Amino acid sequence: MAETPVAVSGGWAPLAAGLLGTLAVAAALFDGALAGRAAGARSRMGRPVGEVARLLRQRRRTTVAADRLLWRIGGAGLLGMALMIVTVVPLGRWTLFDLAVGVVWVNALDVLAWAFVWLTGWGANSAYAMVGGYRFLAHGLAYELPLMFALVAPAVAASSLRVGEVAAAQQGLWFVVWMPVAFVVYCLGVVAMAVWGPFSPAVGRDVAGGVTAELSGVDRLLFLAGRYALLAAGAAFAVPMFLGGGSGPLLPAWAWVLVKATALLAGLVWLRRRMPALRPDLFMEVGWLVLLPAVLLQDLLVAVIVIGG
Amino acid sequence: MGVSGALARLALRHAHLLVIEVPGNWLTRVTVERLAAVRGWRLAVSPADADILAVCGSPGPELAPVVARLWEQLPGPRARIDVTRPDLAAAALDQAEAALRDTPRQRRDSIARDGRGPDDAPDGDTALAHGSEDRDGLEMDVLHVRLGPVLPDWPAGLVLRAHLHGDLIAEAQAAVVDAGHGPAGGVQVGGEPSGEVRPADAAELAAQRCDNAARLLALVGWRDMTQQARVVRDRLLAGERSAAITELARLRRRVRRSWLLHWSLRRVGPLPPDELARLGLAPELTGDVWDRLNGMLDRAALAAGGPAAVAVGTPVGVAAGVPVTPPAAVASVVSGWDLATARLIVASLDIAALGVVTDG
Repeated sequence: MAETPVAVSGGWAPLAAGLLGTLAVAAALFDGALAGRAAGARSRMGRPVGEVARLLRQRRRTTVAADRLLWRIGGAGLLGMALMIVTVVPLGRWTLFDLAVGVVWVNALDVLAWAFVWLTGWGANSAYAMVGGYRFLAHGLAYELPLMFALVAPAVAASSLRVGEVAAAQQGLWFVVWMPVAFVVYCLGVVAMAVWGPFSPAVGRDVAGGVTAELSGVDRLLFLAGRYALLAAGAAFAVPMFLGGGSGPLLPAWAWVLVKATALLAGLVWLRRRMPALRPDLFMEVGWLVLLPAVLLQDLLVAVIVIGG
Repeated sequence: MGVSGALARLALRHAHLLVIEVPGNWLTRVTVERLAAVRGWRLAVSPADADILAVCGSPGPELAPVVARLWEQLPGPRARIDVTRPDLAAAALDQAEAALRDTPRQRRDSIARDGRGPDDAPDGDTALAHGSEDRDGLEMDVLHVRLGPVLPDWPAGLVLRAHLHGDLIAEAQAAVVDAGHGPAGGVQVGGEPSGEVRPADAAELAAQRCDNAARLLALVGWRDMTQQARVVRDRLLAGERSAAITELARLRRRVRRSWLLHWSLRRVGPLPPDELARLGLAPELTGDVWDRLNGMLDRAALAAGGPAAVAVGTPVGVAAGVPVTPPAAVASVVSGWDLATARLIVASLDIAALGVVTDG
């Protein structure tokens, strides 16, 4: 069971994209159902389907003096980013891209969210969108460093930056068990990257939708899909990093990866409606004064255990 | 009908509507929101997000051009409805649905709009921001932004002309649209500048507090509780009193117990009693946004508790009417705060109606 995954041909990439898409759609359906339940209405599982139909039917629009190129790049970027992240996530015995620095690859990609979300806010040439963009940067300043150090912990424990080897190093004990702080901080980072739930002030109602204020039609659809896909990709990447990869009884390894990713994703979606948003100025304090020291201590502890053991 | 027909049918189940409340048409707006929710429709946050523009009440000469400009910003397929009375809401929504379903008509509308892009809009020439010193004495660009009259979860008719340093409101002037044109119809409006407005009954008083609480909860981004507050509001207006009271109690409990919300709202926009008196605001608004949110829910519970408690005025401070909020006070309390916090503070003022006297 402990062997590291083998890279498969690029021809399988559409399958990986399809799996990511399926996870994202499942997340949207689940969110729709939760929204329906809160509204006391009949099941609203169909809500994402209706939303997609609505946005496909809607016209694209632009604003006065919009920076159209950067605006469109930002809007479509999140989806591309999510697809690039899953290329290094092993599905049981297979991976698309067995990169020696896979963990760094994901880390480099997650920083791209800064550019994409901010550009979406900038490009529209609208005050509310711009404020939304800056709110995301403020959140980013608070979550990004803790997120980076959270990814350091599993890499140190496995003595490898190869995602497959990190997963294989958890045969005895999942990393989430002895590095819970890193896991929680990582999950916060994923939620923040997807501009989700507590990290949604960048798309807040108080600024008329923030970075999404001027998006319509297929542009809005791409941005929304990008957020769901990022959430799904983040949940999928947590599986080899913290949740023991494909290990588990009865089911084959690939199935366990999907089961674990789905379960974590469901948790993240559920969280959205249960919590008020974290104001960027307040979260800045938490990020630097609580999360960063906590995750550094976690790294220290992991390093000591690895050297001692 | 083929693909486009099927797409239209699916899309219509989830239409988004941008609701504009003309001051004094609270009940109409709430009815439109309730009926839209029953259909599975959602409230839009901006014109770009909307399929339907629902104007509640008859806009006066100042608001009408704003509505026209917003209408131009709806991407389309689009429908505009004007709802002047609560009992006309259901028919108006049917009419909007029919307009959106009519693909040939939407196509004609779309073709007619081609070539009239936003570049030809009246506001086409954009001035560059000029500089000024911010609160730390640094040179900052100043942006003049008009907040309102149409923003999600924003008091009807309020316009704040804000001077922004980044997203910090350096100073603001407040006004109410069509202030000089009298009530545009409806049950209550700030007819007496310094007096009180009198809701039809205690249930309506409670429902309005719940509606204001829902707005504040929506601004803090707590979706489940927002929904809950709206459900209580609608139950109160529908006369389902006992169900409303039970659910309101649950809502209050959950809000009070949320340490995250408490941590996020405490110390935001503190207003001491003497400051309130100076600004002409009601004394029960003492404290920070957290205190005011809980106060709002307490007042709702008290008013919902029974008609007697309200009619005679209780020791806890629920009077028969609700005070009119002077717009100048709103401008004063948001100055020096960032946009997000300012929105929370405005929502926490539990505004029933704005005085027609404008900021001098």
